[in-house]
Amino acid sequence: MKKSSSDIIFDSVNTFLMLLVIIVMVYPLYFVVIAAVSEPYEVATGSVMLWPKGLTMEAYANVFKNEEIWTGYYNTIIYTAVGTLYNLLTLIPAAYVMSKIYLPGRKVLTWFFFITMYFGGGMIPTYLLMKSLGLIDSRWIMILGGVSCYNLIVVRQYFQSTISDSLYEAAHIDGASEFQSFFRIALPLAKPIIAVMALFHAVGHWNSYYNALLYIRNRDLYPLQLVLRDILILSKTMLASIEVDEEGMLEWAARQAYLAEAMKYATIFIASAPMLIAYPFVQKYFVKGVMIGSIKG
Amino acid sequence: MADVVLEDVCKRYENGALAVDRFSLAIGDGEFLVLIGPSGCGKSTTLRMIAGLEEISSGTIGIGGRCVNTVPPKDRDIAMVFQNYALYPHMTVFDNMAFGLKLRGIPKREIDARVNEAGEILGLGELLRRLPKQLSGGQRQRVAVGRAIVRKPKVFLFDEPLSNLDAKMRVEMRGELRRLHRRLGATMIYVTHDQVEAMTMGDRIVVMDRGAIQQAARPSEVYRRPANRFVAGFIGTPPMNFLRGTVARQEQGLAFLPAAGASLPVTTASARFLEPYVGQEALLGFRPEALGTETAAGPESRLLGTVDVVEPMGHETFVQVVTADGTRLTARVGPERMWRPGTTVSLPVEMGQALFFDARSERVLGDA
Repeated sequence: MKKSSSDIIFDSVNTFLMLLVIIVMVYPLYFVVIAAVSEPYEVATGSVMLWPKGLTMEAYANVFKNEEIWTGYYNTIIYTAVGTLYNLLTLIPAAYVMSKIYLPGRKVLTWFFFITMYFGGGMIPTYLLMKSLGLIDSRWIMILGGVSCYNLIVVRQYFQSTISDSLYEAAHIDGASEFQSFFRIALPLAKPIIAVMALFHAVGHWNSYYNALLYIRNRDLYPLQLVLRDILILSKTMLASIEVDEEGMLEWAARQAYLAEAMKYATIFIASAPMLIAYPFVQKYFVKGVMIGSIKG
Repeated sequence: MADVVLEDVCKRYENGALAVDRFSLAIGDGEFLVLIGPSGCGKSTTLRMIAGLEEISSGTIGIGGRCVNTVPPKDRDIAMVFQNYALYPHMTVFDNMAFGLKLRGIPKREIDARVNEAGEILGLGELLRRLPKQLSGGQRQRVAVGRAIVRKPKVFLFDEPLSNLDAKMRVEMRGELRRLHRRLGATMIYVTHDQVEAMTMGDRIVVMDRGAIQQAARPSEVYRRPANRFVAGFIGTPPMNFLRGTVARQEQGLAFLPAAGASLPVTTASARFLEPYVGQEALLGFRPEALGTETAAGPESRLLGTVDVVEPMGHETFVQVVTADGTRLTARVGPERMWRPGTTVSLPVEMGQALFFDARSERVLGDA
């Protein structure tokens, strides 16, 4: 079909706007990457725009000088892996059960979940609860948690709308129990939503920072995010305490200040790189049309 | 193999709607029974109650002499083929068929043998390693049938299994299912809304409407002697023609006087049971093939009407005619004569094939 001139204008404007959006979103990420490996002075003066200048790994070297960063990585990986597993183990079966219309007490249960979406206990009561549960300064505080009502609804909806009832009926007639229906029919067909939920929760755990700040004192249990924060704070305070009285000291202090800036970029990269690397492996599960061929009509 | 007996089975939903109303029927061992009716007539609900997928509100269902009211689907020794196939999309054809057998702990060797046999019967031999998404509609439905036959159940239940297939495939599968029935000799209960399927496949047809059985009889019987106006109008394409009128006594005997005018002499066979209806209203029904074809005898029973729509089918023509009171009639005639819409025609009615219905109860008059 031949495009009319209005179609061409529409397409051009569309493409232009989309390119603009891409630039707005991608450039900051790109800038972080190049700024972290550029000469701090060049970054500070604003001459780093499109490519790194005066290539240096000083910022990274400074960040990795701190040994706690490895403990942080270790802890965060544990929190993310175990925490995500825990989330999925609670979320998926709960959503499956809630997707069954014949579940006794389904309405009451739904409300039970809904209430938690609207009302929370608040920070201090929650802290006191965690304290009496003995979870302060424990790895479990970073792992355990409730089921998010929002995710529950999303997954429940997936079970209801994607997997046809007649599939379960066929399984029942074939002799499957409720558990067998779940493990052998529902679970394999829920891979895409499980992948999405795994990614959601993994990113949440990876970036989790606030809970650690509230509940964890022991530095050996610090997640990566908290370690990185400390590194930044430390370099700033060190900078503030320098007394500029010697010859040449001024120049050194200024350089340290620039370096602190560059370290910020390096930490951003360090914190997000593992997630960026992991994403393509999860992506293959984001497949469309798991149900193709199963049912018709 | 087993018979299936339903006694006074009712299905009432929580909102009070009555889906199935006192359904009683004995389905013989090895019978091919077809349940047919318009959407919402309760045919699928009845089938699902036999399967155990739907609870029954009252009555009893027996399979092979055992009451199964409280028996879960898996222990009823039935297999069901769904309208939408309901294949397990993540399993191969082989695994789809083997799933039920594996769950029942049947030895692997036996499973292999049964699945391969079913695959052979259904012509799925080369497709056993494929996933459902790699199959055509007809092949998928065959897998669904295969999944049923490997289980060697006492009773097969089919819920509109062919309605998602294209016309050509449907004709093919129809024959295949008949052959399968002959081969297995199992009891089969088949739900459809397609009367061609019902007429061609069923040993017996059960016509349902509004949750109740309207007639249960052999296909030819249902066509020839429908029990009431609903069945008469539902079975047969184009449907039966109906004329409202009164029964009157005339010099030569009884006659039916349609509201649209004319006088149609009643045959002596019909006159016997129409005697009590003299002077009363009744309903005349005749198939399209009983209208418009000139017979050598040339009976004096003719109807006047205006040609409205002409549908040439090739080997025959359907002519829709509107009578003076606006009743629409369809004539099934030979392809020779030309019909011009708008012209008035006088059509002969073959009264020997006509049926009479009570005007109020709409039941057919006379005995079988």
